[in-house]
Amino acid sequence: MNDKPTMKKTMKAILYLIPALLIIGTFSFYPIIKSFFMSFYTDYDYFKDLVFARGLDNYTFIFQDPEFWKSIQNTMIFVIGVVPLSIIISLVIATFLNQKIKFRGLFRTIYFIPFVTSVVAVSIVWRWIFHSQYGVLNYALGFLGISPIKWLSDPDWAMPSLIILAIWKGLGYNIIIFLSGLQNIDKQYYLAARIDGAGAWERFKNITVPLLSSTTFFISIVSIINSFKVFDEVFALFGGQPGPAGSAETIVYYIYNKFYGEWNFGVASAAAYVLLFIIFIFTLIQLYVGKKKVNY
Amino acid sequence: MKKIVHVLFVCLLAISLAACSNATKPSSPEKQKTADIPTKIDKPVTIEFWHAMTGNLEKTLQTMTQKFNDSQSNITVKLVNQGTYDDLNKKLMAAAKSHTSPVMAQAYEDWMQDYINNDLITDLTPYIQNKTVGWSDSELNDIVQVFRDENSWNNKFYGVPFNKSTEVLYYNTDMFNENNLKAPTTWAELGNAAQTLTKGNVIGMGFENAIGLNFPTWVQQAGGQFVDVDNKKVTFDSEEGKKALTFLNDMVNDKKIARLAGEDNYMSDPFSRGDVAMYIGSSAGISFVEAGAKGKINWATAPLPAGEKASTQFQGTNLVTFNSADDQQKLAAWEFMKFLASKDQTIYWAQNTGYVPVRESALKDPVWLKYIEENPKYAAAEKQFDAGYFFPHLDGAFAMKSAYSTEIQAVLVGKKSVDQGLQDAAKNTQDALDKANK
Amino acid sequence: MQKEALSKGFIYLLLILGSLLMLLPFIWMISTSLKAANEVMIMPPKWIPTDIQWGNYIKAWFSAPFAVYSVNSVIVLIASTIGELITTILAAYAFSRINFYGRDIIFSILLGTMMVPGEVLLIPNFVTLSNLGWIDHYQALIVPWLASVFSIFLLRQFFLSIPKELSFAAKIDGCSDFRFLWSVMVPLAKPALITIAILKAIGSWNAFMWPLIVTSSENMRTLPVGLIAFSTDTGTKYELLMAASSMIILPMIILYIVLQKYIIEGVARAGIKG
Repeated sequence: MNDKPTMKKTMKAILYLIPALLIIGTFSFYPIIKSFFMSFYTDYDYFKDLVFARGLDNYTFIFQDPEFWKSIQNTMIFVIGVVPLSIIISLVIATFLNQKIKFRGLFRTIYFIPFVTSVVAVSIVWRWIFHSQYGVLNYALGFLGISPIKWLSDPDWAMPSLIILAIWKGLGYNIIIFLSGLQNIDKQYYLAARIDGAGAWERFKNITVPLLSSTTFFISIVSIINSFKVFDEVFALFGGQPGPAGSAETIVYYIYNKFYGEWNFGVASAAAYVLLFIIFIFTLIQLYVGKKKVNY
Repeated sequence: MKKIVHVLFVCLLAISLAACSNATKPSSPEKQKTADIPTKIDKPVTIEFWHAMTGNLEKTLQTMTQKFNDSQSNITVKLVNQGTYDDLNKKLMAAAKSHTSPVMAQAYEDWMQDYINNDLITDLTPYIQNKTVGWSDSELNDIVQVFRDENSWNNKFYGVPFNKSTEVLYYNTDMFNENNLKAPTTWAELGNAAQTLTKGNVIGMGFENAIGLNFPTWVQQAGGQFVDVDNKKVTFDSEEGKKALTFLNDMVNDKKIARLAGEDNYMSDPFSRGDVAMYIGSSAGISFVEAGAKGKINWATAPLPAGEKASTQFQGTNLVTFNSADDQQKLAAWEFMKFLASKDQTIYWAQNTGYVPVRESALKDPVWLKYIEENPKYAAAEKQFDAGYFFPHLDGAFAMKSAYSTEIQAVLVGKKSVDQGLQDAAKNTQDALDKANK
Repeated sequence: MQKEALSKGFIYLLLILGSLLMLLPFIWMISTSLKAANEVMIMPPKWIPTDIQWGNYIKAWFSAPFAVYSVNSVIVLIASTIGELITTILAAYAFSRINFYGRDIIFSILLGTMMVPGEVLLIPNFVTLSNLGWIDHYQALIVPWLASVFSIFLLRQFFLSIPKELSFAAKIDGCSDFRFLWSVMVPLAKPALITIAILKAIGSWNAFMWPLIVTSSENMRTLPVGLIAFSTDTGTKYELLMAASSMIILPMIILYIVLQKYIIEGVARAGIKG
């Protein structure tokens, strides 16, 4: 539709958008704007809503805080470690689950289960998997002649452990979305390709991947946003601590600590805005790449 | 895409410029309320008490509250469970922000510090000193001193101690008997016992992951001072501080006769499966060790071994009243606090939960003495009341704690040397203290 | 053909290995829920309890008013899922099919709201709800969750992949926009809508922090809040916690099994190829 926007269309669109915008405006946009202002409060009474002085001190503070830089670094490592792998693995599994295979329903239910299993159960089991003495992971690595790794108590291994857990935990979610995306691909394409003698890999590469690009685009944007906001996994895996000696402290953990722990509302808001800015840049890049690559 | 960024930026700038008027700071501090408080409740009043007690603790609290409500003609206390302490903290913050604070809540001293700074909780001194509804001097001084000190800021009482616990030494009596050992009472004995008990897969000594947080205990045991409160100076980068950290580091990293809970999260797990011969942890965890160790190991508790001197930190929350409540509600809350801190109730609470009684008279009461005779595991905690301390009331206490605990942990997981770690810990802690007291 | 069979075998092998990994925590959860307290934290774990404790389930059920909580959870789940589907369909349609002034900007701002961590929004939203007088009412549990940027974005992507020729055809037939949306677009997007509904239902069913914060009375709380009955600051009664968790997740697994056939079957798209 190469149509141009008109006033009439805009009015119509507003009608369609009002319910959603009202809710999101009130419960997301409004508090976000409020905390934007708060990030400039340097002297204030949070509870009485009084502001005595504004300035850039909160931003200066976080940029000079080595702990904040460390948390940015950890978060970056996390995003780079999790997002690509998670998307590739879940795409492959979703493709498998979409084939004509036996027990398809059963398999799908199984891959869905981690998604509903209690977070406590998930974290305890992973703590056992990672356990240096009794854990199944070190047991398996033992066969390859690798000596036991202290996954959860060595600061150097805290981030890799967190990344492994996050990939596992995000799989079910991505698989469900990929599955619904796969349904949108017309079976005729596959039939035609088969008749032309295309192998499984070719069909995957030439039909599935391009025709699924809008779903992949969606998942990659959402995964990046969510990975930047990682918090629950840290809490679950390290029992409420940000890893041994603070080695797995992420930006949101930093924000959380400043806000609820230190009552440093201005600094917490400033840190939240730096996070938003970083995610925003990444999303812009993706939107830009997406416009060129995504196949509608 | 460029357009979007541009527009967004202009939007934000516009809004931010539009909202830039400063309030003026109130020049004189608010007038201190006079000690005039009502001493009689004429009309029925209902007060909410927000707490974080769950399971058996909650049931015990419910029983006590019921008893109180039955004894009162005009006061009804309504208990509201607000989840874990973390959740309670958030909810109290949200309530304060929306001016819907409860009349009463449990609070840690860290929180109380912030509440006082933001003028959210009530100074209880007028109630305590009141001739009609207050405590006599002897009643007040009957509260264990460390708990009294903990709840006072500039000689004003802001809270009443409620669920209090301390650290104790848990030890595996099977292993101790086998090696002819007695519960260690000094650092040297602790080191020797850990050395002797470490064999095969068993490690002698265990520390909770919060060892960093409890570092003041060790500095004080070594005879040092952690922080100079009057001059707002961090003082643990000293001979004694070094001695304390070296002692811990030797056990954990050099001799490998001690470990942190690490991947097990709480020492109670490796201890109750017999992987660790003894550990230091909260006395409030006794019931969990009991459940986990049942049928596997025999164990007992003892007071913490002492260094140059004895020292142990007290944990747990106090009861506070919020300023938003009216005078009648505050009085009702005071009546309920008085009830919970009374001799009979504090004994009942301790017996059913594993926390410690908060009154000296309760500790000498025959009911309590009989109870600890039958349950000797609960006796270790109260034996060290004289050695008890609490983290000083300082602005920025939370930030200070996270600063030094991270560095001390870094030493104990082998990432930093003792000297480096101690130096960094002291510097970061001092920074946190300075920032909060600018 | 032999190559085909080989690759099938390979697929099965991978799927089964993956399944084991997926099921591990679930099995641990069920097995723990049937253990005695002193068997819970044994290392290496004991998968089959020596003495099966069915009583844990009864004990767990009576540890909190779970009957009341279930009713609340169901009410909140149904109301917020249906509400979100409606707002999502309308908004996604506007973003994908109507070219209006400021579309890209509004959409970017919506995306922007996803980038702020929820922990920051908790207190301001509590204050808003408190000003509305909704604390401790169903409105507080439902209304803030009636729209989601995530869902709008997901459905928009789906709508975009539905061929545009369709709407021309419908227009020629004299079909109004609104009718076209409900009678053509919505049925076509069924897999996406079911997916959104499932994700939403689970999110709502498992939500813990929000229901806890915005309610104060027992009869307004939801199932996950009941789980706190098993933890204190010094330890957790894992066996009871897991028994209660198992009871709570069962309805969600059933819901998925019932709904998954809609995701799997998809929609016959014969004759409307792009």
